[in-house]
Amino acid sequence: MAIAKAERLMNLALCLLGTRRPLSKRELRESIEAYLEAGSDDSFSRMFERDKDDLRELGLVIETVENLDGEMGYLARRDSNRLPPVTLDAEEAAALGLAAKVWQQARLAGAASGALQKLRAAGMPEDVDPYEAHGALEPRIPVHEVAFEPLMLACRDRRPVVFDYRKATAAHPEPRHVEPWALECWRGHWYLAGWDRDRGAERVFRLSRITGKVRSRSGQFTAEVPDVVTVRETVASWAGESADRSALIRLRSGSGYPLRAKATAVRELGDGWDELEIPYGHGLDAWLVEFGPDVVVLEPAELRADVVDRLRAVAKG
Amino acid sequence: MAGKPVRPVNAIDQTRRMLSLVTYLKERPGARVEDVARAFGITEDELVSDLDVLPMCGTSFRGGDLLDIDTDGERIWWHNPDDVAEPLRIAADEATALLVAARAVSTLPGLRESDRQALLRANAKLEAAAGEAAGASSRLSVTFESEGGVFADVDRAISERRRLWIRYYSPARDELTEREIDPIRLVSVGHTYVEAWCRRSEARRTFRLDRVAEIRILDEPSAPPEIELRDLSEALVQPAAEDPEVVVEVGPGGRWVAEYYPHDSADELPDGGLRITLRTPDPASLRRLALRLGRDGRIVSPPELADSARRAAREALAAYDGVEAQGPHGGPAVHDG
Repeated sequence: MAIAKAERLMNLALCLLGTRRPLSKRELRESIEAYLEAGSDDSFSRMFERDKDDLRELGLVIETVENLDGEMGYLARRDSNRLPPVTLDAEEAAALGLAAKVWQQARLAGAASGALQKLRAAGMPEDVDPYEAHGALEPRIPVHEVAFEPLMLACRDRRPVVFDYRKATAAHPEPRHVEPWALECWRGHWYLAGWDRDRGAERVFRLSRITGKVRSRSGQFTAEVPDVVTVRETVASWAGESADRSALIRLRSGSGYPLRAKATAVRELGDGWDELEIPYGHGLDAWLVEFGPDVVVLEPAELRADVVDRLRAVAKG
Repeated sequence: MAGKPVRPVNAIDQTRRMLSLVTYLKERPGARVEDVARAFGITEDELVSDLDVLPMCGTSFRGGDLLDIDTDGERIWWHNPDDVAEPLRIAADEATALLVAARAVSTLPGLRESDRQALLRANAKLEAAAGEAAGASSRLSVTFESEGGVFADVDRAISERRRLWIRYYSPARDELTEREIDPIRLVSVGHTYVEAWCRRSEARRTFRLDRVAEIRILDEPSAPPEIELRDLSEALVQPAAEDPEVVVEVGPGGRWVAEYYPHDSADELPDGGLRITLRTPDPASLRRLALRLGRDGRIVSPPELADSARRAAREALAAYDGVEAQGPHGGPAVHDG
């Protein structure tokens, strides 16, 4: 039976960590059973390269050194791989324990528990149950978008990507060439901020509108990455939360609680209606129409016209 | 993959875990299987399968210096510990995963101040220990939304096991209702929810905190019946198979419906729109959706729902008598993408 990959990786890690001098590929092959069984030199070489990448992925710093004979040698030096001293008390340990549980994405969940295990191995206290310490709170970070993982890696490694994107109101997706900067989760949805190469401008994309695969592109970023990337503000303005004007509406008494919660002023009219002043940003017309005959827009005229227009479309429907 | 409760099973995660395991075992001769499994957040079976692999590993297969680690099923011994087992530095992905999550949790309104402080201290120490590897964590961020005051009251009621009185907004009916609930747990998935036993409906209900208009902690003890907690990795609100079906056809401008409403199917239409089939216990609650869609979509069935939206629109229009019609109005441009 083939030797399990975890066993092979573990052996390679121990050999590289255990050695004081660089080991050549040949020496490593002779030391590790799975490599002896690997068959041809070619398949061993491919396996070895993949394994090195995997170990680097989990944090091992592997150096490549050329020896006097021009042969490549590999080692993982103790001092560059050792965790610096870190002392966490029981409360801090419990807090991190809670944080490590929030990811609902395999790669990040695995990485978070990996970090916790390294800290445990380094002596972090472990007797506190994070749920006990934090009451009944169960925060979860949802990741349902398939584009998340490739984009996360592209952001990390600063690799340009291309993907098909369908704008909210577009019938068909079109390819977008993007230098991905940062991902942000807001109200349970993931967004990407980056440099749109075709438009020569910063853009924000909603991950659920990416269709098909995210593909990597070779080469470097061409635009400078800003120090602060503000995904949230852009998305909030789509959601009509960057209101800079106000509107006056009549609202039937007892109805429209969310409108009342947002109102800056409420006046009872006494005839079964109240008059409210509310912030007026993008999308307010669509929201007001939801309340049907319980809302009448008084001003501004533009908003009044938009609402009437929408109501007519439904009335005709 | 995404969305499922996650348990590392792949080779990379197992290798990472085994490397930490040897360090951990070196310091604790005769460690108990159940303690080690708990410390590593894995099942005893998973630990035992790691312990099966470790004796096949060593710094040299030929030299015979394999790890001499064995277990009698209860305790674990490592007979030839060596200095290869040192705590390993935190990798970039590990730092990102833990730091981003810790930052997100620390922004939760209503988190106890002592817990928030512990989290911030731990985060600073972790950042320092991770060094350069912490850098990439700035490329991910998460904001939880929730209502601070309501959150704190629910949290307190849960820890003191007391009943809550709430005035709760139901968007489906545009009304506020008063209920007494026995809170079970708080869940943050984008929005923050309290899962509770509702004394009015004598059933399990999930309440979104930003829809709680008023809240009071009662003196009565909370006594929710023993119920099995659901796996919340999928959508919080799952329609039942016997719920009535609603069919909505939307144009390109209404495609967002498929993003916001859990649905059975969404079929492409030739004009770039979608035909969406969904189920809901209360189709009347979708009148709001029909009104909101305007010219971007229409309810195909049930016909009563389409009728009620039309009637509501006509009734609303009556209040605007005399208003001149304008041409199609797009509103401010949406800079999407």
